[in-house]
Amino acid sequence: MKDSVKHIAVLVSAGRHPVSGEPRHCHNDSLALALGLNLASKVQVLHAGTPSNPALQDYFALGATQIDVVPNSDDIIESLAAQLTDANLILTGTRAESGEDSGLLPYLLAAKLNVPIVADALEIKANREQLEVLQFLPKGRRRRVLVSLPAVVAVHPSAAEALHFVHARKNLGNINTLHASNTKMQTIIDDSKQADSKQWRAKPARKPIKLIAQTAQTGHERLMAAISNKAKGGTVVNEGNNVEKAQVILRYLREHQLIEF
Amino acid sequence: MTTRINPHRLVQASPADLKHPSNNIKRIVLSTAQIAVEAHPAKWLRTPSKPKSRVLVIAHSDRGALDDHALQTIAAAAILADAETAVLALILGELNDDLSSAAADEVMILPALDFQIFQPDIELASVLAIIELLKPKHIFLPDNLIGDGDLGRRLAALKKLSVATHVLEIDVQHVASAQSGGCVLAQSNLPEVILLAPNAVDAELPFTAKATRIDAPTINHAASPYQAHYQDMGLQTSAAEDIALEDADFIVSAGNGVQNLATLASLASSLNAAVGASRVVVDDGKFPRDKQIGATGKTVTASTYMAIGISGAVQHLQGIKDCRHVIAINKDASAPIVKRANLSVIGDAEAVMQALMIEIEKAKEVVA
Repeated sequence: MKDSVKHIAVLVSAGRHPVSGEPRHCHNDSLALALGLNLASKVQVLHAGTPSNPALQDYFALGATQIDVVPNSDDIIESLAAQLTDANLILTGTRAESGEDSGLLPYLLAAKLNVPIVADALEIKANREQLEVLQFLPKGRRRRVLVSLPAVVAVHPSAAEALHFVHARKNLGNINTLHASNTKMQTIIDDSKQADSKQWRAKPARKPIKLIAQTAQTGHERLMAAISNKAKGGTVVNEGNNVEKAQVILRYLREHQLIEF
Repeated sequence: MTTRINPHRLVQASPADLKHPSNNIKRIVLSTAQIAVEAHPAKWLRTPSKPKSRVLVIAHSDRGALDDHALQTIAAAAILADAETAVLALILGELNDDLSSAAADEVMILPALDFQIFQPDIELASVLAIIELLKPKHIFLPDNLIGDGDLGRRLAALKKLSVATHVLEIDVQHVASAQSGGCVLAQSNLPEVILLAPNAVDAELPFTAKATRIDAPTINHAASPYQAHYQDMGLQTSAAEDIALEDADFIVSAGNGVQNLATLASLASSLNAAVGASRVVVDDGKFPRDKQIGATGKTVTASTYMAIGISGAVQHLQGIKDCRHVIAINKDASAPIVKRANLSVIGDAEAVMQALMIEIEKAKEVVA
């Protein structure tokens, strides 16, 4: 069922190598690109940022033929949305490796375009007007969701998609810079609340400080707390035969709904 | 005026210590009985009698209970709330626990919005109705993958609220989260929606709250037009042996006290549990290295961890620190695992496992 979805757009961001810090493709976005290329032979690859970013070449190696670059503006969502009005499916990673990497972009874009969004996708299958998404849930659980198109799908980093990185393709692609006339630039931020939220003060990384409730203790209380044994551990079953002990375990598992029988 | 303490007073254990064997004093303390009683003060009640404002905590429950991450989020809201602010916990899914020790002043439960069902727009509509009604100052959510992280982002995007995600550090003035792939710890003022990362807050609190159940307002789900876009095709649970150990929800783990590994394997399959092992057993070559749980092996986050014949060395306990329910079967009642376990059964591992398998078979037959 290849090419059943008409216009697929993949949003890619610049990544960085976790150890060396070298610019490279963002792994999560590359998975989105690979899933997109499974669905259609040609996808639109879109990047918001600088066209000269060396990280973009990696996406050519991963199968993109052209990257449309939307120049940085005050409202990235607005300029991206302007490019994506006729896209049937917008694919992206859940979290970037550069910039704010808050994982908010797919949601803001979906809200802007007024289309549904499904996050944490592992696999996608297209059937006509609908998309079948296998969604990641923790503890080995997966969920199948049908979503109507057009839609935004954010791909989970553990999607089992093999990336085919071909070095020879690295310089074959074409970077197409979209000019300001193509993008609807929004220079005036009218919503003061939104502007306030963007005021992040960047500080070098350090160990975060854990929030701990203040306890107003006297010195004597602290001493007593340090030298007395707190009641630790749960129930200890020493009595009874093996069958009774097994029943205690089963009762515990049932009480906490840890088993279904 | 300070009262002088007689330096020649008699050394004595206080009556409170004698009454409770759990208050096991390691040393003799020179103190009067009265001071010793005050050493274990009851937790004070935080709930404001006439709250002027509210903060909202939204979390999905899993099988009627909240996980540690959700409890930490409620604790964060309670620590940051001032004396005139009440903490309202909005629980999506069923809840069997009492949230007074988690310091939620009010609890509202929407049992129909279980995390297993994908219904983001019904959830969003319900949450928006409650926000409209109560007008909370801040909304706290755990940034997890069982729907809370998703819901918080949908809410912030739709209502254009200021938001901080993956919050690693929080206090009264600011939040901080990692940006640019972790090389920046960016700070911002306290936004309206706060999505907390796990372990950013200590859930141990010196106070409790009333946890009054309040009824949810009737919400017209039909008014939500978007839900038609989504259709839930159901949850899939993969077989336990296909899941990576870090991802498993139920782990049966073997230690040196297990003689017959075949029994353990069949117990694990009857419980649909993944199998792990302690370092000694892996070193003996009975299990591959990727089954090792502990400091040098894997750190697991299962909600149920059954430690069979494992004494519980510090390194092993490190690997299971995030497990919710630890059940130990051990011959030695003084083993360190007994202190960590929620339920310890003292006895021969092989015999208890055999008995447990028979009980499980019986229980399954009754259900079927």
